[in-house]
Amino acid sequence: MFFDLNIPVPSSSSSSVSQAKKGKGKQAKATTPSASAFSPSQVNALESRIDLLLQLGYTVLAFNQVVDKKVDTKSHCNVLDSLLPQLKQRPGVVFLKRLTIILDEDSEKGFGLINANIPIFNSYDLISLLPTSATTFSLACLTHSLPSPLTAHIISLPLTLPRLPFRMKHTLIRTALKNGAVFEINYIGALGGENDPCLVTADAAINDSSAKRNWWAASRELCRVTKGKGILVSSGAIADADLRAPRDIGNIISLLDVPQNTARDSMSTLPRSLVRRAETRKTYRAVLSEPKVVIPENPSQPKLSASVAEIPLNRVSNGANVGADIAVHDVLAAQGSPESGTVNERDGPSGPVAIPHANGQKRPREDVEKQAVAPPVDHETRKKKRKKNKEGRGPTIATGGAGS
Amino acid sequence: MVRFKNRWLLVEFIPLHQGENTALNGQQIFNALKQSILANFGDTGWGAVGMSLNVTYFSPVTNICIIRVARDHHNLAWAALTLVTAIGASRYIPNVVHLSGTIKHAQLAAVEHNRKAIARYRSLAKTPAAYHDSFEEYLETSSKEIESLKG
Repeated sequence: MFFDLNIPVPSSSSSSVSQAKKGKGKQAKATTPSASAFSPSQVNALESRIDLLLQLGYTVLAFNQVVDKKVDTKSHCNVLDSLLPQLKQRPGVVFLKRLTIILDEDSEKGFGLINANIPIFNSYDLISLLPTSATTFSLACLTHSLPSPLTAHIISLPLTLPRLPFRMKHTLIRTALKNGAVFEINYIGALGGENDPCLVTADAAINDSSAKRNWWAASRELCRVTKGKGILVSSGAIADADLRAPRDIGNIISLLDVPQNTARDSMSTLPRSLVRRAETRKTYRAVLSEPKVVIPENPSQPKLSASVAEIPLNRVSNGANVGADIAVHDVLAAQGSPESGTVNERDGPSGPVAIPHANGQKRPREDVEKQAVAPPVDHETRKKKRKKNKEGRGPTIATGGAGS
Repeated sequence: MVRFKNRWLLVEFIPLHQGENTALNGQQIFNALKQSILANFGDTGWGAVGMSLNVTYFSPVTNICIIRVARDHHNLAWAALTLVTAIGASRYIPNVVHLSGTIKHAQLAAVEHNRKAIARYRSLAKTPAAYHDSFEEYLETSSKEIESLKG
């Protein structure tokens, strides 16, 4: 299972922006520009590219819409929403929608990634930022990588520029990685192929002969500062001839002094966990599955009844549930994960409350908990782990035997 | 002493435009690969792999090719192969199907890949199930040819 999370969409943002400018605001909004944004020939070209990518072994493809400087609330439209239904559905292949915002000095004051615009961003599966100045780079690493409905999980860098416009400080990189962001390398730079015209006009990429050597220098630097962790590799190619098979790219990435397994993971395991993490943008406090409560056969323990009396009244909605409710809270607290499934907090604005127990501590005595409930089983995470173990083997290398 | 060890790359060159499939040959592939190594890794790079680099087999029907290279720097040769964008005037996508340490497994993988490629051609041609085409013969001759290769 290999991922290509950057497939540029032909003339995406430029068409919608120019149309909005012509119509001057309201008129352009009334006539939805997205409907006629893609001609049949463009769709056919994309279809053949998808076939090619499938032949090369990719199964999850993300189409990328690029926006320059900032997301304009009035004129912005999601061109991918109109594109994806036009594409032929293939069994076992996933299409994702991705938005890239190019940040420069003008975007330092704000570029539309704010709470008021959540509906716009919720229509995308992935959000990525492409900083081209020091300030926006630290914004992307520190502010926009924090978990929220607007997290930009991918930080893309202008690797083909003669010199990176900022220094990649260790603290910034570390914070971004800790928050779960990843850094993207587009392998199109290694081949010296043609870049997305949107990036070229925004000065985030160049198309001349020096692009290739800039790419090798900048990517090596990126691999050095990240120590090979959190590197995502995707194509970013607009010409079919610049696509390559995942294993070949894995080999190219391993030339950047990245361990072989990391190079391979950058197209398989890492993007998969990234897509899963990006899904949590749309859920309540990043809860993907509700923990299952196992209600014990004999819930009325003498010691629990003492603690029931101290619980605030609005929590005691159903007498039978109380024991289980506390247990869930305790198990979660013991796991120390504030974002994984807080059943209690959903019913009211009361927020997390440490419930006092009979023994005067935050956690009940061991024996009480043992008798009261069996710990909830999180099927979701278990399945995920098992999948990870199963997932693919390295490139087929058969050694041994007689050579020449 | 340890014997000399090789890596065998089984490469498929995917033509971009199916129609104008101008005949490719092993020599052209070798030259393209050499140019790519010289351009990307320079003289030292060519010096590391040049002696052992060898195009052992090429099939023009399915565009597959077996390349031999010394094990020490096979990553370099592989990377240079990936960075090849055009052979002659037409553009191809090099796709390494299999990488093996013995020619035996390169042969097995080549025969298997030939079958898959022929199956794909047939599904594109949409001929009836029992139709006998020239591919049948090709599969037999190519399998024999591949199996007769000697490291």
